[in-house]
Amino acid sequence: MASQLKRVCKRISDFCNSCERNQSPSGSRRTFHRDVEPEEFQYASSHCLSSYYSVFVVRLAIMVMLAILIGLLTLLTWHFTRVYTAKSLENLAFALRYELLQRPILRMWNILNSTVEITTAQVKLSEVVIRRYSKPVDQAQQVELYEVMRDVTWALFASRRALNAITINYRNGFVQAFHRDHRSNNTFYIYSDLVNYSISGAYDTNNLSSRGGWSDQSIHNNTTASWYREPLDPATGERIGKPRKIPPDELINIAGISQVPDGAASWHVAVSKYTDSPLLSVALPVWDDANGSIVAVVGVTTALYSVGRLMKELVEFHSGHIYLTSQEGWLLATSTNAPLLMNSTTEPKLMRPTNSEDPVIRMGAELLMRQFGNKFPPNHEVHVENARLGHQLYYIDSFFLDLKRLPMVGVIIIPRKYVMGKVDERAFKTLVILISAASCILVIGCICIFILTNGVSKEMKLRAELISHLDARRKAEASSNYKSQFLANMSHELRTPMAAVMGLLDILMCDDYLTNEQFATITQIRKCSTALLRLLNNILDLSKVESGKLVLEESEFDLGRELEGLVDMFSVQCINHNVETVLDLSDDMPRLVQGDSARLVQIFANLISNSIKFTTSGYIVLRGWCEKPNTCSNTRKFPHNGKESWNTHKRNLKQYARHENKVILWFEVDDTGCGIDPSKWESVFESFEQADPSTTRTHGGTGLGLCIVRTLVNKMGGEIKVVKKNGPGTLMQLYMHLSTPADTIGKHCQLKFTEHNLMVLLALNGRMGRLIMSQWLQKNDVFTWEASEWNELTQILQEIFQAKSYAEPRESSKVECLSKQKGKDSIFLVVVDIGLLDLNTDIWREQLNFLNKYSGKAMFAWILNHDTSNTVKLELRSKGHLLMVNRPLYKSKMMQILEAVVKEKNVELQQKLNASKTTTKEEGDLHVCLEMDPIRYDAASSDDSDKSPSACPSQSDTVNNCLDSNFTPNDQNHTRSNFCENSKSLELSCCSSKVVNGQKSLEGLRILLAEDTPVLQRVATIMLQKLGASVVVVGDGMQAVDALSALENDSARNETKIGECPLYDLILMDCQMPKMDGYEATKAIRKSELETRSHIPIVALTAHAMSSDEAKCLEVGMDAYLTKPIDCKLMVSTILSLTRRNAKPLLEAT
Amino acid sequence: MDLVGQLQRQFVDYTTSLTREGFLDDQFKQLQKLQDESNPEFVVEVVSLFFEDSEKLLNDLASAFQQKIVDYKKVDAHVHQFKGSSSSIGAQRVKNVCVAFKTYCEARNFEGCSICLQSLEQEYHLVKSKLETLFKLEQQIMAAGGSVPEL
Repeated sequence: MASQLKRVCKRISDFCNSCERNQSPSGSRRTFHRDVEPEEFQYASSHCLSSYYSVFVVRLAIMVMLAILIGLLTLLTWHFTRVYTAKSLENLAFALRYELLQRPILRMWNILNSTVEITTAQVKLSEVVIRRYSKPVDQAQQVELYEVMRDVTWALFASRRALNAITINYRNGFVQAFHRDHRSNNTFYIYSDLVNYSISGAYDTNNLSSRGGWSDQSIHNNTTASWYREPLDPATGERIGKPRKIPPDELINIAGISQVPDGAASWHVAVSKYTDSPLLSVALPVWDDANGSIVAVVGVTTALYSVGRLMKELVEFHSGHIYLTSQEGWLLATSTNAPLLMNSTTEPKLMRPTNSEDPVIRMGAELLMRQFGNKFPPNHEVHVENARLGHQLYYIDSFFLDLKRLPMVGVIIIPRKYVMGKVDERAFKTLVILISAASCILVIGCICIFILTNGVSKEMKLRAELISHLDARRKAEASSNYKSQFLANMSHELRTPMAAVMGLLDILMCDDYLTNEQFATITQIRKCSTALLRLLNNILDLSKVESGKLVLEESEFDLGRELEGLVDMFSVQCINHNVETVLDLSDDMPRLVQGDSARLVQIFANLISNSIKFTTSGYIVLRGWCEKPNTCSNTRKFPHNGKESWNTHKRNLKQYARHENKVILWFEVDDTGCGIDPSKWESVFESFEQADPSTTRTHGGTGLGLCIVRTLVNKMGGEIKVVKKNGPGTLMQLYMHLSTPADTIGKHCQLKFTEHNLMVLLALNGRMGRLIMSQWLQKNDVFTWEASEWNELTQILQEIFQAKSYAEPRESSKVECLSKQKGKDSIFLVVVDIGLLDLNTDIWREQLNFLNKYSGKAMFAWILNHDTSNTVKLELRSKGHLLMVNRPLYKSKMMQILEAVVKEKNVELQQKLNASKTTTKEEGDLHVCLEMDPIRYDAASSDDSDKSPSACPSQSDTVNNCLDSNFTPNDQNHTRSNFCENSKSLELSCCSSKVVNGQKSLEGLRILLAEDTPVLQRVATIMLQKLGASVVVVGDGMQAVDALSALENDSARNETKIGECPLYDLILMDCQMPKMDGYEATKAIRKSELETRSHIPIVALTAHAMSSDEAKCLEVGMDAYLTKPIDCKLMVSTILSLTRRNAKPLLEAT
Repeated sequence: MDLVGQLQRQFVDYTTSLTREGFLDDQFKQLQKLQDESNPEFVVEVVSLFFEDSEKLLNDLASAFQQKIVDYKKVDAHVHQFKGSSSSIGAQRVKNVCVAFKTYCEARNFEGCSICLQSLEQEYHLVKSKLETLFKLEQQIMAAGGSVPEL
């Protein structure tokens, strides 16, 4: 059974497995769609297979264990319920059988006993009667004796109804007998004819000694004797019929002397013709006391059918069969109705049970015979269980009844069904129920196991999948890393040819022989390549950030200047757009901050260029203010209600701001462009994300700008966000953490204008700029008026000057102040935008003339456009308007203007007589203009964005025009080189002009070249020599340092020479050299320079092209950086810029 | 005269073909421009310097790769120098191989480095033979009494 269960389990698990196997291919197919390499899958699938296999084994094991458990339980249950019951029942059944058999045997015993008793009683009575008539004298007495005997015998016979017959056989052969026929219920008296018996013979007691007289022959051979039978009333014993003669011994056995040979009681089983059952006959002798001889023999015959009836009754109640046999094996009684006697032809005979007509008895007897034969166990007790007789099982038990004269054997055959039928049935039912329950439990258990392990296998599958996913992710990450790396490399590699392309274009553009069309085309190409380069730069930045290579510089820089330069640059672009660019930095901004200026500028350049792209009219304001960490209450009002949204950040900031000297700088870029949909406020900062993809066509762009901005801002410890704005347009707010040099915190040089009684009339086109400027001026106690167009300007001027006593001022307070200040030496400044003049026609000259009327009373400062023509400028200058600045006007410019004005006023007041007015003014002018210049280059360096080439020359023109008359050629060179330094377009034009001027642009310069590669050494030397420089070559860093120190020693010796000619104007330093590399050498040189306080320019020469190398170069103290192969022009410009800067103090000193 | 013209044409063609095939780049032209009366043998001088230098470097590199443990730092320095010198004379293809070599070197990729070294030698010998041919042409022109044409 268990094995069957196992087989079932196996079948089930096989099925399940096949199911899984069917599923698994689809799973792997599904996973194949992902972009992972197939080998991994093979690995994963094999892994899966092994896991399936292990799951299968585990399942099988659990199922088998379950099966065994359940099987054991079932067996145990069955055993306990079945075997114990069976055993106890068996015991009971044995007792029952014994009991059953005991009863007929007891009955038999009773019968025997009663028969013996009757016989004994008969014998005793007979003795008494015979003694009385011991001496029969005559026939009469003899007859009387017989009569008495008859009566006595009748009394006894009647008292026992079970008796079959009582016989008395006298010595003389007379026979008296009572016989009861149970079948016909008749009672007969049988006697022999008295005639034949002589009394004498009968009473011859003397002859008693010879027993021969008592031979059976006397009876049996006495065939001549006639016997009579007369029927009697069974109740009373009265004769009811006539005696009839019958043959002797026909009806009954008469116990003769032969049966009592030893005088003791004798037993035997007899058969009679008239009964169908065996008879038990007992014979006892009647003794004559006197002579001790036997006078008669009494025989009692009892039918055994009552035993049979009892048996029948018992069997009826209990079912089964019982039979009794004599020791010899003759059947005495059975519980069936089958005849006990064999009807042979002559007379009935006893039969053996094996010949019984009842099949059960016969078969049982046969079985016993077969098993034991004649060798019964000593006590004749046999117990056979589960004997199969016919189609049924029987219990067969035999018991031996050891009577002295008549040993008997009782056999009981009881069908097993009777005793154990119910038990067997129950047991079978229990078994069936148990098996079914067990199999149910097993099936359910197996299903449970399957489900549970299915979960486990699913988990395993998931785990395997997870592992493969992890692998895939790792690979993807690695590949993304590779991608970043690749991008970085690629964009770098791309940038190099791009630079070449652009340089060549610049050269081409300087060519005089181009037709206009060609020039236009080249300009166009130049523009495109600039755009391309910018794109490349963006990608490089982004990939740098992504690969985590972006390292922010930490250097001090002038924040205001950087931003001003930026705004300057963008205002050029904005002019075409009719957009006003305004810079609005609060006064509390630290002037110097620590950080990466280039990146900072990049942030704002990106933001502003983004704004410009989407703003067609209106303004772009770059606001900035400072939040000191220790003064958290922000004094400055937020221009918009973005305060709440930033509160959370602020809390974080407070912790951050614990660091010393850290300031949080807030910036806002506010424009009036098309705005960004609020839902896109977050996503615009994602890479390649654009607020409105459709605008790509109109505005272009890759969507990288803002992403870079955000990563940069984050890198600087800040955040950027788009903030809700009331009007149209976009407002981006950002903050960043920058540290400030300790000494400059809160120290912001500010001219005290109040003491000079300044009054300013702002006649500016741009509304926003004007507003902001006037607000700022008023905050600094400067009185302002505003005018947005020419008419307004004239009106205000007239109001103030011509009708100063009575005119109606717009604000009484102003007039009061004005009148007050009029008393003192007040300065009245008019800032005029050149755009207010009508330049299209000739009206502007008249307008200038008009203004000229006030030139004595007021100072004029002009805000020029970038494309303001020379004629206008010349005209202005001729009119004495020498304060000219380019757009846009921001605070520092304003401040410079004011300073210049104040200075001029002072000079004017003090040296009115001596000093020539123009020189001073020009100096002031020069001052203003010069201050502006470095800004421009900074701006240009920080972003290469489309500074329209057309604008640049004009710009330089402006400056040049301003300077032309004043500068020596050297100075001019200096200015130019300043320009050239980084702004390629300018620089190249400069260089080309140099080339035109003559090849020897480096004339007189002494250059130390430290280079180990002979090839490069030679090339560079020749190159420099061609340009007119004298070159000293050294092979490594060590030699370079030595050369310099030797020089110092030399210089110490002949000190007079130094001032005029230091031995080397510049060092070109290769970075990678044997013995001592360029970095080390530079460090050493700089260290030694600390003592002499000189500074020799060092230019790095390197084949590395990463900007990190550049950073490294600058870090160790080099001034500039050139990549190999040496680009002649670039080298010249760099060298010039560095040497001139150095030369300048020298020149000034001389 | 005819011969000189022919040679000159051949020279020009050869030079342009070198440039076109990427053996030489503008830097070489710059070198040629630098050559004038004051140092008439400038190009040849520089190039032979380059040859010497390169031979030495190649030897060094080869021996560096013979070592059991390759000193990548050293190799990198050599390659760097090679790159510098080759880019200075405008041997573009050599330079490009150097760039790749450097990348492999940084990645410590032995196989890549070996391949690069082989191709570097190959490229070097190629450019060397090309340049020698070029100089031979130049000499022939000079011998024929002509002047080396400007490019």
